[in-house]
Amino acid sequence: MSRSIRSSWRLFAVILSLALVSTACGSDDDGGNNADDGDGGGNAKKYSIAYVGPKTGDAANLGINILYGAQLAVKQFNASQSDVKITLKEFDTQGAAAQAPAQLALYKDDASILGIVGPAFSAETKAVIPELQKAGLVMISSSATNADLPNVVNPETIFHRALPDDKAQGAGIAQFLKEKHAGKSVYYIDNGDDYGKPLADGVRAVATANGNPSKGNTSINEKDDLFSAAVNAAQAAKSDVIFYGGYYAAAGKLSKQLSDKGVTATFITGDGSLDPGFLTNAGAGAEGNIVSCPCNLATESSTGALKTFTNDYKAEFTKDPGTYSSEAFDAANILMKGIKAGNTTRPKLLAYVEGLGTYDGISKTIAFEDNGNLKATTVYFFVVKNGKFAPLTNTDEL
Amino acid sequence: MTLGAIYALIALGYTLVYGVLRLINFAHSEVFMVGAFGSLFALHAIGFDTAHAPPHGLVLVGVLVLVVLAGMIASGVLAVVLERLAYRPLRKRGAPRLAFLITAIGASLLLQELFALRYGRNALAFPRLLARSTAFKIFGAPVQVPQIVVVASAIGMMLALDRFVANTKLGRGIRATAQDPETAQLMGVNINRIIVVTFILGGVLAGGAAGLYGIYVETIRYNGGFIYGIKAFTAAVLGGIGNVRGALLGGFALGLLENYGATVLGGEWKDVFAFTILVVVLMFRPTGLLGEQLGRSRA
Repeated sequence: MSRSIRSSWRLFAVILSLALVSTACGSDDDGGNNADDGDGGGNAKKYSIAYVGPKTGDAANLGINILYGAQLAVKQFNASQSDVKITLKEFDTQGAAAQAPAQLALYKDDASILGIVGPAFSAETKAVIPELQKAGLVMISSSATNADLPNVVNPETIFHRALPDDKAQGAGIAQFLKEKHAGKSVYYIDNGDDYGKPLADGVRAVATANGNPSKGNTSINEKDDLFSAAVNAAQAAKSDVIFYGGYYAAAGKLSKQLSDKGVTATFITGDGSLDPGFLTNAGAGAEGNIVSCPCNLATESSTGALKTFTNDYKAEFTKDPGTYSSEAFDAANILMKGIKAGNTTRPKLLAYVEGLGTYDGISKTIAFEDNGNLKATTVYFFVVKNGKFAPLTNTDEL
Repeated sequence: MTLGAIYALIALGYTLVYGVLRLINFAHSEVFMVGAFGSLFALHAIGFDTAHAPPHGLVLVGVLVLVVLAGMIASGVLAVVLERLAYRPLRKRGAPRLAFLITAIGASLLLQELFALRYGRNALAFPRLLARSTAFKIFGAPVQVPQIVVVASAIGMMLALDRFVANTKLGRGIRATAQDPETAQLMGVNINRIIVVTFILGGVLAGGAAGLYGIYVETIRYNGGFIYGIKAFTAAVLGGIGNVRGALLGGFALGLLENYGATVLGGEWKDVFAFTILVVVLMFRPTGLLGEQLGRSRA
């Protein structure tokens, strides 16, 4: 056998091996969560729900928070009764709209999947809503907050979310400014994208009308490490408060650079910054910074069912729950409660969620508007205290 | 200016490797990233975490030297490993340029994901080593101590490299190989040795940049080298790829252009401004500002 032929055979063998490994991995993915796989669940009826969101990529942290919340819900549900066994199938979109259609093709036609926890982010949700509507596949997102999502298709029935949208968050932050920083001036910085800019602009419009004068605004590029121009502009503005609309990594660096520059204005930012990465990047200067979220973050200071969830989550995953974990837990439980009640086809489960009424979740009482938005508009505020996020207040208490 | 100094140090790695091998080593951004992790781990090894108070006096000097040296060692070692495992086998087989390019991109992604899996996707924080105190002002703009340390150290390293390439036997070997590898080999230059030395030099400078980056920016994450790699590559092209002094000029020019663009137009326009200038410069000077090859550079 000539050297070139041997090389060809070697190459063929390598490709064949990779194909076999890939096939094996693919079948493992299809199995998703192993909460009930091969457990010999007797006569239990088996159904699936899906997690759709990032497991890898830059947004993986937030995705893992959601995934773990859903996994814990499924595990506890399966352990609590023996009639129905739920499998959580996981589809990694990397949180990107570009990846979402490829994953959609994997779960849309899987008849065992009756509902979705997710998609996680607004852009990826927007990309798949039309197809989900065609497939009649009900979704409850624990984290997609773009205000326009209910209007992507008309008529729309499948869209639901377990937290208020960005418009509600903007109004909530403006309310917080009015009550806790009455008459104080605000300088606005945003990241220029579809999340950060509308949020900052929304807060600015309402807060200015509420009597918190704006001292100006600017945008940054979150890929940068240093935001000298924005920091200098904010310093020159001499505002009492600085609001940042954007994500945690840049928010942390911005907070630190403002602090290093001697800026003493109160730093407030939105839910995109409610992540430990904010604390890491901001360092000691973050003490007293305030982060808002339409989500109800489960922390060590939480009480009641949220405290129990915190303890269970920590025991299961050896880490604290993160942003949107409690909402994902609620979303999964709503779907599983519907399935347990006999809604074991996609149309039936969709009808169940549409007619949910109220569900007493661990994060909040969940009731949906006709367009799938959450009726409640409560926004929660957390303050950085001793290097951790601690509950501060919420708009119901203001 | 401060970031420009860091761009310039990284750009030297691109330009040296390109000058000798005609290879754009896209994994060089991860050589920088690994250097920053090396610097951070060295700090952890001597008990410096984010809760540690900034050191003073001789301890401070010792810690700063350690941070930079650790970055240099980590990056230098990785650069050699990349050369041995990824590029040398391709050279031995006479692989086409495209194979080198794809291998470099593959190595870059591989290293990013390995570090993401091992150390997570969030940034890791450096302890504060230098207080953000203002040393002096230029036209009313405050210049902080860390900025002086970064720029002065970077210029020192660049000068050392310039002298090394111009005055030493190995430097002459690098220039000879860059100019005409076959003739250099006939004249007794050990090409493989020169290539390894080139990778070590590029790696060590990227590691030095990584240590200074850690001291100044104070965080690092798995993909923290990517943007700096792109910017440094841009700086190398702007100055004239393959030209040591061009890389220096390109790095500082890009840093200043970015800062100017951000100040005049706003932070979100910084890259638009800097890259527009780059395109305009290349239209009129396609070989970059200095446009000279490494082999023809003179002391």
